Amino acid sequence: MGKALSGSEILLESLHRQGVRVVFGLPGGVVLPLYDALYSAGIGHLLVRHEQAAAFAADGYARATGTPGVCLATSGPGATNLITALTSAMMDSIPVVALTGQVPAHLVGKDAFQEADTIGISMPSTKRSFLVRSAAEIPQIIHAAFKTAVSGRPGPVLVDLPKTVFLDRAEAVYLTPSPAPPEQVQEWTEADIKAAAELIVDSRRAVLYVGGGVISSNAADELRQFAEMTHIPVTTTLMGLGAFPSRHPLSLGMLGMHGSYATNQAICNCDLLVAVGARFDDRVTGRLDGFATRSKKIHIDVDPAEVNKNVAVDLGLVGDARETLAALVAELKRAPRTPAHAERQQWLQRIETWRAEHPLTYDHYASTVKPQYVIETLAHYADERAIVAVDVGQHQMWAAQFYKMTYPRTWLSSSGLGSMGYGFPAAMGAQMAFPDRQVIAIVGDGGFQMTLNDLATAVQYRVPVKIAIINNRALGMVRQWQELFFEKRYCDIDLNFAPDFVKLAESYGIRAARVEHRTDVVDAVRDFLSDREPRLVDFWVDPAENVYPIIPPGASLAEMVVEPPRFVAEEEEVLDDLWAV
Amino acid sequence: MQWLVTLETDNDMIAACRLMNIFRRKGVKIGTFALATRPAGFSIMAVVETAETEVAYLFNFLRRTAGVQHVSCYRHTPAANASYVLIDADPHSSSVTRILETFPHSKLIFASHGKYLLEIPAESQHEVLAESADTDILPLARVMSTQNAARPAGVGAQAF
Repeated sequence: MGKALSGSEILLESLHRQGVRVVFGLPGGVVLPLYDALYSAGIGHLLVRHEQAAAFAADGYARATGTPGVCLATSGPGATNLITALTSAMMDSIPVVALTGQVPAHLVGKDAFQEADTIGISMPSTKRSFLVRSAAEIPQIIHAAFKTAVSGRPGPVLVDLPKTVFLDRAEAVYLTPSPAPPEQVQEWTEADIKAAAELIVDSRRAVLYVGGGVISSNAADELRQFAEMTHIPVTTTLMGLGAFPSRHPLSLGMLGMHGSYATNQAICNCDLLVAVGARFDDRVTGRLDGFATRSKKIHIDVDPAEVNKNVAVDLGLVGDARETLAALVAELKRAPRTPAHAERQQWLQRIETWRAEHPLTYDHYASTVKPQYVIETLAHYADERAIVAVDVGQHQMWAAQFYKMTYPRTWLSSSGLGSMGYGFPAAMGAQMAFPDRQVIAIVGDGGFQMTLNDLATAVQYRVPVKIAIINNRALGMVRQWQELFFEKRYCDIDLNFAPDFVKLAESYGIRAARVEHRTDVVDAVRDFLSDREPRLVDFWVDPAENVYPIIPPGASLAEMVVEPPRFVAEEEEVLDDLWAV
Repeated sequence: MQWLVTLETDNDMIAACRLMNIFRRKGVKIGTFALATRPAGFSIMAVVETAETEVAYLFNFLRRTAGVQHVSCYRHTPAANASYVLIDADPHSSSVTRILETFPHSKLIFASHGKYLLEIPAESQHEVLAESADTDILPLARVMSTQNAARPAGVGAQAF
């Protein structure tokens, strides 16, 4: 006979066996027995100031590491406060395991204090939710929860635990192996791979369209090998940034609504589009009947439901991106014909011509602080392997355009749901995973005000996150849309009534500075990145700056609005001069 | 257009809840709905009224839902093209017995509370038409399925 343990002890041991080293959470009534056991359990706990931050931090941890992040909340409001972040993780296929307390089992359904139907509420926001009914079943459910979170298309899982389960005693039987390995998905056949290889060899103007699936399957090396072998240029979605080095000659950067002119032209004119771990999101495709109409399409995705969901494809390869790309590389090596190198070069030159016509740029001579310049300066001085977490809005798009990512799992963004308030707590989560790496939260003044209460968390646990506020004193993206599409009828976008972020940060004990002049940007960035403490810089940027290019709502990629190029030449020299100051 | 959706899930009712929720979100009109228990889960059958594009979405949504083991979608089709029939009758109706006797080689896909989904041999199609006079029979063609071949008789057949 084994020793009977409490449900709390069994839960913590189950988490330990899954490799959990830190939990992001906030205690409350029904989870007190669990926190009592946590007191001496040897699993780290970060006390957040709002449960949403706990789930965003778990998301950031998961994106940075590739292993599930864990958050913990009490019943009722604690659980409901997790929901936005879980929905974001669901949209972006991020493995998060949320543990929620529930009222004692005999009170479920009786409108008890802090009772909420967490299973019901979380149903559409999670890949799966479990209600635990006895302490004895905890090991099996935790094992299943972690396995579900990482298997196939990853996603968030919620485990709801009534208080009585924490208090019950049982003899635990733990499942092996632990951590739970993911279930592999592979529906394609060798014939499918041969067919894909033929399409690739036959193409002359191919484009690789790469999404977050390449990152979640750790397929960056295979992608690079495939691209270099076939000379096919690579564009990434917002989720795919980092999957392919941005400075690689074959990199096209981001496509879609705020993608570059050259990239979207390449999509419009390609004869083969190879989508890998991407889902033809409406922000990528624009109006569907104008998307890549001249191309055949191959779609590689681990989720069979994504194939032909938004865009009909000629060939769907359902399987893990890494395995599938590796199989394609092997097949292409065996193939009697190779891609026509000369014609691929012509295609790349044509893309370069488009890039020269309308490069991503901004006014480098402006007297105001341009947000793009702040982003470029941050990228220039930050470590190459720095992790960047962004919020949602204009600054997110500028960061996507101008912060050149080199490595996977260094770009954290609430992309599908677009949840403001994500950046700062996600950065804390990533920092907890990698205490020795630079982690920068690039946030807007709007989004930061949604989760800035967790400055206290950063100070309490000495989480050395660097917070760069791109402050335009407005809900900038909303203002931009009102300017461009609502005849400048600006309605409730004014954020001038905001705290003094410098004084606020200092009140928490964080060193902070404000930058209002372009010439101060470099010094501020260098100083800000120079130590291992949480720091904040409030960059007062040009409030009139807009994100370009932009595809108007309802338009196709070909109808993108490109800001007239103003300072195409000598950009590099100007930047070099500024950084040399 | 009328469609029939069948679902096999594990023993967690959350998958059935997700099905109902997606019907509600997509405004799918439910004509008939039946649920049967199996030793290790549930079988669900619903006749719904919706557009073909919505059915493709439903199929894809359901096939990736955790806890769903199999999902199939059938389109209402002229009897001459039918490979499946749904018989909606009183569970004790003699006509059901008669139909099942008429198609001894048919496979029972689903049975619960008077709802019987049968895969029928091709040569039986005209006999189906003849039998439909006194029984509510919906001829169907399977258009999407996570199962390559028809399941053997007995799936969800406890009520039979």
